[in-house]
Amino acid sequence: MKQILLITDGCSNVGLSPVVAAAQAFSDGVTVNVVGVLDGGDIGEYGAKEIQEIAHAGGGMSRMVNTRQLSQTVQMMTRKTVVQTIQQAVQKELKSVLGGSGALEELPPEKRSEVVRVIDELGETSKLRVALLIDASASMKPKMAAVEEAIRDLMLSLQSRQGVSELSVFHFPGDKHGDDATLDLDWTTNLSGVQSLFPKLQMRGTTPTGPALQQVAQYYRESMEERRRGGEEDEMRSGYVG
Amino acid sequence: MATSAKFDLDRGMVITGKWRHRRYRVERMLGEGANGKVYLVQQDSRLMALKVGLDTADLQSEINVLQALEKQQKKGNGGSPFLYDVDDLKLRSGKEYPFYVMRYVRGTKLPAFLAASGAEWFPLAGYNLLLRLADLHGSGWAFGDLKVDNVLVADYGRVELVDYGGVTAFGKSIRQFTEIYDRGYWNAGIRTSDAPYDLFSFAVLCVQLFEEKELYRLTAGTLPQNRGTAELLRLAQQSQQLKPFSGWLARAFAGGFRDAAEAADAWNVVIHRIGRPSKPVPWWTKALFLLSAAGLAASAFWLAGGFG
Ligand SMILES: Nc1ncnc2c1ncn2[C@@H]1O[C@H](COP(=O)(O)OP(=O)(O)OP(=O)(O)O)[C@@H](O)[C@H]1O
Repeated sequence: MKQILLITDGCSNVGLSPVVAAAQAFSDGVTVNVVGVLDGGDIGEYGAKEIQEIAHAGGGMSRMVNTRQLSQTVQMMTRKTVVQTIQQAVQKELKSVLGGSGALEELPPEKRSEVVRVIDELGETSKLRVALLIDASASMKPKMAAVEEAIRDLMLSLQSRQGVSELSVFHFPGDKHGDDATLDLDWTTNLSGVQSLFPKLQMRGTTPTGPALQQVAQYYRESMEERRRGGEEDEMRSGYVG
Repeated sequence: MATSAKFDLDRGMVITGKWRHRRYRVERMLGEGANGKVYLVQQDSRLMALKVGLDTADLQSEINVLQALEKQQKKGNGGSPFLYDVDDLKLRSGKEYPFYVMRYVRGTKLPAFLAASGAEWFPLAGYNLLLRLADLHGSGWAFGDLKVDNVLVADYGRVELVDYGGVTAFGKSIRQFTEIYDRGYWNAGIRTSDAPYDLFSFAVLCVQLFEEKELYRLTAGTLPQNRGTAELLRLAQQSQQLKPFSGWLARAFAGGFRDAAEAADAWNVVIHRIGRPSKPVPWWTKALFLLSAAGLAASAFWLAGGFG
């Protein structure tokens, strides 16, 4: 299972539309979730709408929260998305076996029990990757401590799963001029050795949300290829879902 | 993340299950949470609790836990049935929601119970709560989302747990939790289900009962990396009621109990220690003791046959 979690507090203002980029990622099998961090500041009607649309296009969900609720929100969204991704896969199976829409609601309650048991089991054991994409534009500066806390908290939840779970972190705009996003942390299963996620971040003005999303989707594609070349057996044994 | 429900069941409304056609009359709402609403309902003048879910998979997952628990209990001591019915209901708007019907648990939350009956009931209520957790732990489950809202206390400190949405088999990741009760939040461990997970939450709950304001100040003011069990313990030591339990609490915060059964035994030891206060011994008991010791020596001497 592959997810991108975008944390932002405003509107994109350069490059490709983030809604298009999210739709592209979803076609590649990556679900995109979005959290808008408010904290007194106003995201504005336009920003709020964009956040909703990115999530919609990316097959995920969106929430507007204050920094205080950030950890819990990120954790819940990730978990819910895992269940939903599996539910969709299972629904497809059911549809081909039973006909109808394959929706759980169409089954009588006694039959749901078994299906949900399978969903829960897969949700706990299947491999999971979450790439975090953090808006590091100037207005985010006072919120970065909360963002880092939320990332560490998410890692903790992922470590508690039975299935292998990996996390990576990007921020945007990138550090070098012209870079859409910069990789802060490559796929990892543990953050305890990482002192600080964003040691010397330069907060800049532009918000290239679309191009940054595209870059993360590309990163997913590359790391999948690397795996295919490297540990094909590994992949078979652990069984990706979604 | 409260996606609050967009429906209300009114008093007097009659609900008919879509699949099994059983009928329930709504009395009033008992409570609501992130996953749905719970109503007091009547069926043939019997009171029951009916939980309406917002998400079919989520609710079914909770039902699965209840069914598994019931099966295990039937094998064991044949505990009273908890789950009566599972079905869907259709509202006039045409929208359908899943629901299940369970035993209605009479009771109030711990803070209200202690306010009404007095803090001297705390040790017993705590003990009874540990016994409830011990039942679950004995079957290989952690309760998960132990918090003040999910504990109901009836007369004489009898305790029942409600909301099984967080119940998780040992070894899996805790399905649902609330930050301040979560050991991960206090930098005291991961969120994989085990018995010590619940005992940690239980200990936070104790602190919350007597030092609520201080606890919230701690969560609001402390940097995440400085959050730790030492702070929680400091609060426990401030409280008159918790002081006798501070050794027990320290052990729970450190994950030092195997399960709730062991923790309940240790709790019981503290209760009995409170029952027999180790106040400074008045001078005359010492005098009495010396006298009787002297008397004992004399009689032993006499029994042994004196100098003869
Ligand atoms: N069997 C019951 N008998 C009496 N009251 C109950 C019962 N079950 C639940 N309640 C009441 O309803 C409230 C909400 O129920 P519950 O906690 O199951 O909902 P939830 O949506 O899962 O909540 P949460 O967000 O806490 O997970 C409980 O806090 C409790 O006060």
